[in-house]
Amino acid sequence: MSVVWDRRRTAWAAGWRAFAAQRSGVAGLALLGLAVLVAVLMPLLTGADALNVARVVAPAWEPPGSGHLLGTDHTGRSVALLVLNGTAVSLLVGLTAAGLSVAIGTLIGVTAGHFGGWWGALLMRVTDFFLVIPALVLAIALSSVLPRGMGTIILAIALTSWPSTARVVRAQTLAVEARPFVERARALGGGHLHVTGKHVLPAVLPLVLVNTTLTVAYAIVAESTLAFLGLGDPTRLSWGSMLHQAQLQGAVSKEAWWFLLPPGLGIIAVVLAFTLVGRALETVINPRLRG
Amino acid sequence: MRAKVLRLAAAIIAVTITSPFTSPPSAMAQAQPPVTLKVAIVQQIDSLNPFIAVFQSSTEVGRLMYDYLTAYAQADQKVVEGVAKTWEPSPGKLTWTFTVPDGKKWSDGKPLTARDVAFTYNLMLTNEVARTANGSFVANFESVTATDDRTVVVKTKAPQITMTALDVPIVPQHVWESVTDIKNYANDQVPVVGSGPFVLTEYKAGEYIKLKANRSYWRGAAKYDELHFVYFKNADAAVQALAKGEVDLVNRMAPAQFDSLADKENVTRNKAQGRRFNELLINPGAQTRTGTPIGDGNPALRDVRVRRAIARAIDLDALVKRVNAGYAEVGTGIIPPVFPKYHWEPSAAERRTFDAAAAKAELDAAGYPPKDGVRLSLRLLGRAGRAYDEQASEYLKQSLADIGIKIDVQLVSDDQLNQTTTAATYDLAFSGWGTNVDPDFILGLHTCGQRPGADGTGGTTDSYFCDAEYDRLYAQQLSEFDEAKRVEIVKAMQARFYDQVPSVVLCYENALEAYRSDRFSRFPVQPQTGGVIMAQNGVWGYYGAEPAAQSASSGSGRSWLGIAAGGVVVLVAAGGWFVARRRRATAEERE
Repeated sequence: MSVVWDRRRTAWAAGWRAFAAQRSGVAGLALLGLAVLVAVLMPLLTGADALNVARVVAPAWEPPGSGHLLGTDHTGRSVALLVLNGTAVSLLVGLTAAGLSVAIGTLIGVTAGHFGGWWGALLMRVTDFFLVIPALVLAIALSSVLPRGMGTIILAIALTSWPSTARVVRAQTLAVEARPFVERARALGGGHLHVTGKHVLPAVLPLVLVNTTLTVAYAIVAESTLAFLGLGDPTRLSWGSMLHQAQLQGAVSKEAWWFLLPPGLGIIAVVLAFTLVGRALETVINPRLRG
Repeated sequence: MRAKVLRLAAAIIAVTITSPFTSPPSAMAQAQPPVTLKVAIVQQIDSLNPFIAVFQSSTEVGRLMYDYLTAYAQADQKVVEGVAKTWEPSPGKLTWTFTVPDGKKWSDGKPLTARDVAFTYNLMLTNEVARTANGSFVANFESVTATDDRTVVVKTKAPQITMTALDVPIVPQHVWESVTDIKNYANDQVPVVGSGPFVLTEYKAGEYIKLKANRSYWRGAAKYDELHFVYFKNADAAVQALAKGEVDLVNRMAPAQFDSLADKENVTRNKAQGRRFNELLINPGAQTRTGTPIGDGNPALRDVRVRRAIARAIDLDALVKRVNAGYAEVGTGIIPPVFPKYHWEPSAAERRTFDAAAAKAELDAAGYPPKDGVRLSLRLLGRAGRAYDEQASEYLKQSLADIGIKIDVQLVSDDQLNQTTTAATYDLAFSGWGTNVDPDFILGLHTCGQRPGADGTGGTTDSYFCDAEYDRLYAQQLSEFDEAKRVEIVKAMQARFYDQVPSVVLCYENALEAYRSDRFSRFPVQPQTGGVIMAQNGVWGYYGAEPAAQSASSGSGRSWLGIAAGGVVVLVAAGGWFVARRRRATAEERE
């Protein structure tokens, strides 16, 4: 058994070396590290009253420069602080929703691929059904029916983004199960749980990892979209809810670009970081993509 | 120049695309395009049925479609001719005789007579559902009879002061006598037969309401042809549409939006004293008319001391300064200062000044000591997408946290908010009402009789307030014909309301309006000084609008910010698309 794990460890180490060789991937990872650091540290560094609408004293709609790096919002809060503090919810929702989505996708994909037959066909038709429903429309419908809150947003995003993962994972499962070592495992009396858990899952894991990073990027955009449309949790600070507030309070009419641009750039930065990391990982597990 | 070429190209494309389905362009070119006043609205319409409609937007459209028995003058809001031209009370003030002059017509050409008036009031007297929106006006009626086509006699059980301020749309008998199910009658069979200055000709829920000028209106037809209400999802979009010249009139702007129009070309702003108040409802233990508790309000709020403590913990001055950016007056009584005669200000002794320490002491005395810093947990309901609710809820959350009340803010849609407040499944909720010239309606909203019936419907109680003292004063003012004395009673009622706090009047927002002065040169405001264009006690603003001398306007004032914001959105969208593409590409490669 330990031989297998040794071999796997070596493979992961080789994978990391291949990843580290790609500058864009490393840059994305660094950007991500920074974002996580900001998300974790900012709530601790921000004073209790700095984002408290009832406590701030600065005038509203102040342009950047005059005492506030990125100006102030409609209540006089610093936009710079808002953006930095919004990182946490955006990342949290993005990661959780992506995790949930990939978990559903993997479960359905592996099950469909492993069992095949009419059961697999049924699962795949369900997947196709979800695949053809416009994701944003379904997410909007879900988040307006369910009670408002972060959990609802996570659920709405997860339920709309799992089908592509399921398809990819099913394909990989079929490929893995065709290999002789799986047949051997079966011949030695390995049950469904053994085959899928000990052989198939480890083999599809790298793929799932890549899929997760890319799904996170989608989930963050989706969260921002839903929050911007006013379907998010209005009491929680995120980049999407900042854009929603800006739009609601008349930032566009007011020409307060400093309230609109920073959260938008935050979304772009994090989405870009996840995409870069995801593509680099893809190159690692698929040598054909290496230039 | 380039913009013109582009627009021309766009027009050509549009014509090319649509021409197979429409009449030939030559025929269209010959007809003079109708002069249209396009009004941006954000609030939805709850119903076009005047007996059911309670939203401000709906009653406003209702006023355009149906005249009331009397009207309020534009300049000073004095009672003037409506459906009835003259009226005469009997010596005991129990019998009122209204005269409807000959010659008034419904929009379908049938004569408008005293029998229509009698029909409308009798419908409300006999049908409980028909009393939903305006029941308070007829609650005291004994009988209504039309003695001939010109005369209608109303007998009341007790003398009633509001007999010349009955804000009830008079509907045509020949249309409504065949309506059996008023509750479900949508009243959207266009053109809807009415008597007002405009006739409803097209309605699409959530998109637009189109009305045409009533050419046979007895005051004379409006000076333009069509009045369109166009829905906008948010005020920002409406303001942008005004800046670009797509709509002609916008109201209910946020302060930042109002400020941003300060030096826009061809846009005139109107800052008016609003006749609305914003309030924070505090569920005082909701019950139906029969005394059955309904809803699930926190029982602690039944204690008036708790309600007072909540009111005391809110810094109204700061709210006005920070949330309204100064475009409001601090709230006291339920009648706004735009009606100075009835407006009530607490005396120094009555006034609840903002004092968190005193609020805490009151909560201690009421038996709600802090447990781990929390005395109570309450839900606060507001309307998502309404700037005031979204911003003020953050302030209230903080202010109440300071006295140990934990607030769970829930911002929901218009309809959900309406449902929740009707079902009384709230603790605290944002609300607000427009007030009329005569205070009876707004005072009546808080009487016991306005609470819903046993089946949970009927009645338009604002706050589920039910107070014997208040009701006694209400009945008293209704039959007090000495104006000075009535003013005293009305003020006493507001004092009682303030003392019992079924709701905290937060502020009287200024009405912030703006219009395209290149399209319409003048809008009559009501009252003459500091008055509003929209949401009047009447329809003078729409009816009396004067189109400007025709000039081809090309107001394409797109700011660079709009482009920048658009750019960000496009970038984000492109990012999302790119991600999606990537994922699809890999998926295909692997399969």
